Amino acid sequence: MQNLQIGRPPPPSAAPSGPPPYLSGSVAPSVTVGSRPGPPPQTLPSRPQYQPPFTRPPPGIPNGPPSAGIPGPRFPSAASSMEPSPPAIPPQGSLPFPGSPPHGPPVNNISQPSVYPSQYSAAAAGVPMVPPSLVSGPPHSQPLMGGPLSQPYMSPPQMQQYTGPSQMQQQYTGPPQMQQQYTGPPQMQQQYTGPPQMQQQYTGPAHMQQYTGPPQMQQYPGPLQPPPISSGAPPFGSPPVWQQPRPGPGGFPMSSMVQAPPQMFGASPSSLTQRMPPVPPVMGNSPLAMAQPSTPSHVDPRQIPRPIPGSSVEFFETRQGNQANNPPSATSDFVVKDTGNCSPRLMRCTMNQVPCTGDLLSTSSMPLALMVQPLALPNPSEEPIQVVDFGESGPLRCSRCKGYINPFMKFVDQGRHFICNLCGFNNETPRDYFSNLGPDGRRRDADERPELCRGAVEFVATKEYMVRDPMPAVFFFLVDVSMNAIVTGATAAACSAISQCITDLPEGPRTMVGIATFDSAIHFYNLKRALQQPLMLVVPDIQDVYTPLHTDLIVPVAECRKHLEQLLESIPSMFESNKVVDSAFGSAIKAAFLAMKPTGGKLLVFQSVLPSIGTGSLSSRETEGRTNVSSGEKEAYKLLQPVDMTLKTMAIEFAEHQVCVDVFIITQAFVDIASVSVVPRTTGGQVYYYYPFSSLSDAAKLYNDLRWNISRPQGFEAVMRVRCSQGVQVQEYLGNFCKRIPTDIDLPGIDCDKSILVTFKHDDKFQEGTECAFQCALLYTTIYGQRRIRVSNLSLPCTSMLGNLFRAADIDTLFACLLRQAATGIQSSPLSQVREQIMNFCVNIFHSYRKFCASVSSTGQLILPESIKLLPLYTLALSKSIGLRNDALLDERSYWASHVPPLPIPLVVPWVYPRMISIHDLTLKGNNDSKLSSTLPLSAEHLSDNGIYLLENGEDCLFFIGNSVSTEILQQIFGVNSVDGIPTQFVLQQYDNTLSNALNDVVNEIRRQRSSFLRMRLCRKGDPSGMLFFSYMVEDKAPGGLSYVEFLVHIHRQIQTKME
Amino acid sequence: MDFSELEAAEGLRWPWNAWPSSRSDAAAIVVPLSVIYTPLMPLPDLPLLPYEPLSCSRCCATLNPYARVDYRSALWICPFCHDKNPFPRSHAGIADHNVPAELFPTHSTVEYLLPNKNPNPFTSPSSVLNSSFSSNTLFTSSTSSLIPLPVSAPPPMAVSAPTPAFVFVVDVCSPEEELRALKNEILHVVANLPENSLVGLVSFGSMVWVHDLGYTECSRVVLFSGDRELSSVKVQKLLGISHQRNPKQATSQPLQKQGFLLPVSECEFNFTTAVEELHNSSTALPGHRPLRATGVAISTSTALLEGCSPNFGGRIMVFTSGPATTGPGMVAETDHRKAIRTQRDIINGNAFLYRKAQNFYQKLAQKLLERSLVFDLFACSLDQVGAAEMRFPIETSGGLLILAESFESEQFKKCLRHIFKHEEADRLDMKFDATIELVTTKEVKICGALGPCLSLRNQNSLASEKEVGQGGTSSWKTSTLTSKTSIGFIFQVGGNLANEPGPVFFVQFKTRYRHGDGSIRLRATTASRRWVDRLRPLDVRTGFDQEAAATIMARVGVSRAEDYHARDVIRWLDKMLIRFTAKFGEYAPEHPSSFRLLPGFSLYPQFMYHLRRSQFIDILNYSPDETAFFRVALNREGVNGSLVMIQPALLRYGFDGPPSPALLDTSSVTPDVILLFDSYFHVVIHYGSKIAQWRKLGFDKDQRNENLWKLLEAAEMDAEELIEGRIPAPRLIRCDQHSSQARFMLARLNPSATQKTRHVDGSEVVFTDDVSLQDFLEHLQSLAVQG
Repeated sequence: MQNLQIGRPPPPSAAPSGPPPYLSGSVAPSVTVGSRPGPPPQTLPSRPQYQPPFTRPPPGIPNGPPSAGIPGPRFPSAASSMEPSPPAIPPQGSLPFPGSPPHGPPVNNISQPSVYPSQYSAAAAGVPMVPPSLVSGPPHSQPLMGGPLSQPYMSPPQMQQYTGPSQMQQQYTGPPQMQQQYTGPPQMQQQYTGPPQMQQQYTGPAHMQQYTGPPQMQQYPGPLQPPPISSGAPPFGSPPVWQQPRPGPGGFPMSSMVQAPPQMFGASPSSLTQRMPPVPPVMGNSPLAMAQPSTPSHVDPRQIPRPIPGSSVEFFETRQGNQANNPPSATSDFVVKDTGNCSPRLMRCTMNQVPCTGDLLSTSSMPLALMVQPLALPNPSEEPIQVVDFGESGPLRCSRCKGYINPFMKFVDQGRHFICNLCGFNNETPRDYFSNLGPDGRRRDADERPELCRGAVEFVATKEYMVRDPMPAVFFFLVDVSMNAIVTGATAAACSAISQCITDLPEGPRTMVGIATFDSAIHFYNLKRALQQPLMLVVPDIQDVYTPLHTDLIVPVAECRKHLEQLLESIPSMFESNKVVDSAFGSAIKAAFLAMKPTGGKLLVFQSVLPSIGTGSLSSRETEGRTNVSSGEKEAYKLLQPVDMTLKTMAIEFAEHQVCVDVFIITQAFVDIASVSVVPRTTGGQVYYYYPFSSLSDAAKLYNDLRWNISRPQGFEAVMRVRCSQGVQVQEYLGNFCKRIPTDIDLPGIDCDKSILVTFKHDDKFQEGTECAFQCALLYTTIYGQRRIRVSNLSLPCTSMLGNLFRAADIDTLFACLLRQAATGIQSSPLSQVREQIMNFCVNIFHSYRKFCASVSSTGQLILPESIKLLPLYTLALSKSIGLRNDALLDERSYWASHVPPLPIPLVVPWVYPRMISIHDLTLKGNNDSKLSSTLPLSAEHLSDNGIYLLENGEDCLFFIGNSVSTEILQQIFGVNSVDGIPTQFVLQQYDNTLSNALNDVVNEIRRQRSSFLRMRLCRKGDPSGMLFFSYMVEDKAPGGLSYVEFLVHIHRQIQTKME
Repeated sequence: MDFSELEAAEGLRWPWNAWPSSRSDAAAIVVPLSVIYTPLMPLPDLPLLPYEPLSCSRCCATLNPYARVDYRSALWICPFCHDKNPFPRSHAGIADHNVPAELFPTHSTVEYLLPNKNPNPFTSPSSVLNSSFSSNTLFTSSTSSLIPLPVSAPPPMAVSAPTPAFVFVVDVCSPEEELRALKNEILHVVANLPENSLVGLVSFGSMVWVHDLGYTECSRVVLFSGDRELSSVKVQKLLGISHQRNPKQATSQPLQKQGFLLPVSECEFNFTTAVEELHNSSTALPGHRPLRATGVAISTSTALLEGCSPNFGGRIMVFTSGPATTGPGMVAETDHRKAIRTQRDIINGNAFLYRKAQNFYQKLAQKLLERSLVFDLFACSLDQVGAAEMRFPIETSGGLLILAESFESEQFKKCLRHIFKHEEADRLDMKFDATIELVTTKEVKICGALGPCLSLRNQNSLASEKEVGQGGTSSWKTSTLTSKTSIGFIFQVGGNLANEPGPVFFVQFKTRYRHGDGSIRLRATTASRRWVDRLRPLDVRTGFDQEAAATIMARVGVSRAEDYHARDVIRWLDKMLIRFTAKFGEYAPEHPSSFRLLPGFSLYPQFMYHLRRSQFIDILNYSPDETAFFRVALNREGVNGSLVMIQPALLRYGFDGPPSPALLDTSSVTPDVILLFDSYFHVVIHYGSKIAQWRKLGFDKDQRNENLWKLLEAAEMDAEELIEGRIPAPRLIRCDQHSSQARFMLARLNPSATQKTRHVDGSEVVFTDDVSLQDFLEHLQSLAVQG
């Protein structure tokens, strides 16, 4: 195992010097070569081998890298820099990765390379896990089995020796930039230190041992894992590795790092060592931080790359100096200034430089894809998107490709013509749009016209863009009142939520509402009655539904508010004694659809039980699934597919008539989300899932979800198309929508939380130095009935250097691709296969990087490009997520899969890699930001028995309460004296004390960040809820998967195998 | 004995009171052997016997005065089949001084009060009627599929007195004012219903709304799409009132929870609210008829009654103001440019919708009768509503077909209130679930029935192969009977009478029905008539009842008109009349002037003359709906009523004497008289021009002109009297001579003075091409004497 280059280039540090380099960036491709402990025995010959390997590989590999531009030189440079560079490195790293402090250490590596050789490029791109390399190779091999254990320990001390480097880091950190980025300078250091730890991590193989054998665990005292080594060894080839690492770490890795691959490794090791010592356990959280404390010799798991939340707001200009800027991490807090490219919230590409050729793209093994979130919420301090009215003529468009006018259209011929940046067509400028060009070749009025200077603008649509008058905002509520729904309180909760939400509906005659309930029949309500009593219209025939042809079913909200409230109040009691068990979901939505057909609108369905009757009725496949388990899991994935096409066909019809369906599943049983979710998926809606529903604790979330659903910025009857420069073409759209013609997607409803992934493929080549433009045009009707076209533009430079691609890769988007791929995958292939696929996705990328960009590094190192050094962690978390776990309930997995496609990019990572913070010590932390940013790695190791922890993924919020939490804290937070006193149906209360206030502040801040109310659940050790909590501890070894360190080792092996 | 006196005693009118005994002789007398039977005619001294009748074990005839009784051996010999039947133990004490009432010679009609074991006639085990029912293939087949037949466990409801159910089916496409009037009427009626009557409310426009009257939380209605035909079972299932198939659960489970049909006492508030909330909800485009799902509304109501009130009878009362335009039973397109079918379309076979709708309603009739449901149609509209299509179920179920122009009209209100007439304080005068069975001497075969009933098609030896009207059976069913409902039965005498029959033949009418008080009754009328002695053929003539004959001929003619063109029917009537007069007139061949008719026959040609001119036969001036309306009325009316319809009555009020009947002739129209014209459907008070003038000048208000005032008063009072109690209520028209409204009278007068005749000063002239009665008779004579 060699270096994991978990590249978290400490971009921040690098920043000062770094950024410029990038920009200038011939160098850009950051090749991080992390040398990892070599898994195979071959590597055993630790140092010697390493060195040779490095050299050797380069020859072979170099070819690749060179092309990438990253090649040899950098590495060497890096290597050399390693030692000296540390200072330089950090800055570099920091710069490029403003958002990702964790990278720190790798950065160092990178920066070093970059600085030295070709400047940052190489370095930045890949953050070699230098430390790992140290650990890796030789040592591992040697120690292989049990014996080694001791050695490893031994080695640690060496690490400590390295500590020296840590100082280096500190120095690095020293740079103000670093500090800024990393809220806490110290942390920075730690982080940086992290990287070195990375190496340790490699050493981590030690962990591997743990994995392999419990006994090994013991060996690793530091690591939480106690298990003995012995047993472990056999299962995993890794065990030997462990051993190797240990020794390695001790002498070899370190040395190797420094010496042999002085470039990357050297740096990192140094850093590692440095960090090692400094890194306090707590600090460990920081991604990079390795667990120095325990075993210096091993890779410290705490130093493996982990996301480090940025705690300060960053200001981001989308373009600087006529160059696209790499966007900050999606999860960080930033403020965008639109200087030509649209905000990364609106569009974000997997790589911020576009490969010139398809070959280059496929070589990189990365997908070229765009995450589009056309109505994404801006940061409040950002300039709002400007509305441009072209009057009668409508927005100016290219007459050939129909692309909309944008800042990248080039005006020529004194402004009389303009050249489309998408198709290259030379258009004539309309007379009334003519303007002279300035000396710089730009139109003189460019800065006054938003469409010529902003990446995102909104055009007022003319009649030409309407097939009919813009539709009113119609909200139709459909509530399940079958017996179970009533008994569980789902109906009451839904009614109360709707009732409270009515006030949040936009006022005005254009907002219309309607309501219906259903069990085995559908009940509509006449809302427009001067009379006292509501009128219920029952449609009993659910085989072939119809709708009361009554104009009073859907009425302007202003006219019926009172009736509606009264009705909602009485619905639960009206059906109080309902004995109907069946629920005709399919028929009900069909009937409601028929009522809405003339206008379209949003249909919000509150479903509580398995649709058992009527159109599209479903059977309890869960039980089928269970019985099938015995016969083999071969077909199990089919249960994640819709049962049949009935609902799909219906959904397409809905979409045609602009009806968007959101389904709130409020249940305590199986509902077959796989089938039900087809409807929202096709109509641009989404599924909400409350399982197991508790009327006590879930009502608030239901209300908040509903409120946000109807009050968030959104549009209706939308059509979206993404255009791009000639050279690439749209391959596929992924998300919740209906597609009827190949080029456009229909979105009956689109809101600020919905994203669409667009993948591209090359159909031609780009010239180096040109830019590839993407334009997303969304034609929609606002809630106030205006027809608008929102146009977002993103223009990225093209490159022919593979290294540049890696350097410019965007982990968030990349992972979003992977996540969607996995979500689709689990519906069509067995889980094991999907897990393998995502693993391959990961491995292929690193392999490509290793092969072509990390020329010099030794084969024994795992090298991770800095920009995507977190990919292994996320991949691991993904493979342990609900969707990919074997033990998850069918519905939970279906929900998981249905949740993914529209997931907005800031929520992608949390969805699989949740955020965990401790809350028992909240008052000790600084302000809110730092409270939130002091996240803990998802490992049980970081849980203390006397602590309370909060873990949230944007949807659920779990509170884990240790067994021996002090009464005082319990009293302050929960108002009870003992853990057992907390009710299972948990509701977070605010008590009058600082801790409780602080906790509520934190929770509210999370809610704000996630635009989600969060489902609060209480987890106690030792019962199922505790199991649930531990299932999120993705870095730990679990029955279903490897630990993080093991995983890294595993990846490294895979790469090794491929290399051969 | 006068024929009408006989009728008053028996409820029977025979065109021929003595029958020829051979088929050829019977054919020669032209007017068919037949009888007009009024099953529930109020009879004086009708004995009500609180036990089950004794029936002949072979022919099922009940014991009657014509039976020979052997007291010593306690046997009675059935006069029909001559079978010997022993008296059961209950009659042990029978002796010549101790005979049951049904053996009294004066009691040819008796009524039995049957023990109320089981209200369902289909399942009562021992009754005579039942045996005939069970052999009835038509009904058993369908009932077995629909009715749970709770043989093993009779519904608990049977314990309490069965209550009739009323479903009000309201068309909400009516204009708002109309609807208001209608709602008021309905509410009025419901307010006066006995407390335990079940009521339901169904409203319809483009969809059918079944109102849940038992739901207290809010107003609740169940909707059915107006364009889909659903089976009753399906509707019941959707309403949640389906019966359990499982015999164990065949109890009245569905009756417990449903709220669609509830006793008035339980749901009056909800019912009132629901009715008051009915509003015109039609959204018809200009130039289009509103969408009306009349057909589905009716079939849904049927299903509702079937489900909720299985066997106790009920009425489906449809109030509509326009044609059905959607779904089954649709009779017109919504587009006004496509006119609703006319007589001509129907004759020419261009009425596609007509045929379809007719089929739909014919099927409905079966269902209605299975459950003894009555279908009433109140069509208050200036347009047609499709009554012609709906006629069959209305007629066979004994329902009322009322055509009026508005729900505000008196006619409508009268009819509606008439239906809900109380017999006693808490009881409606309404008889449900009637079956009529005939037993005849074996030489007499039954051809069929003409009138409001449906053949049960229990083929047996009594049924003739020749079918007229509802034939092929000896028993009929109808859902309700009024005291006036009359049914004509047509007979045939057996082919060859090898052995001379006795001097008399017998016919026994057994009518089983549910009385307003819930009891099941059986009224048995046994009649005997003479066979005509071959040697004395004159007997035929003495037994001729020309009024009954005209009535029968009218019914036969109307029945033929369903299948043939009106012209052919008139031709047929003429032919029959010529044959008739040739047979019974006294004349010297080829000498028209020598032609004479016996007094008993003299009016018959005149009846026929008016019949062929009447709206029943000459339909081209009427819409199909009106024709249906007229014919339904004719088919249910007794002899007297029918005669008025055929030949209207005319009374003359003058200063020269008391009111007197006047000739139904234009010559009767003079300026100084008031005429009271009664054609059954219209009552016209016609003021001569002078009288009209006086009245206009206000002379009648002057005390000095008491005569005039009294004259006017007399006409009014007589008119009131005519209208009183007549259902469907006639339209009262007051008009002056020469006014447009006078046409209602003039059209029916004998056009003795037309534009072609010489104008006589002062007399009324009718513009028509019709021949006058005089011409007609002259013609008739000349044809009759030709042999």
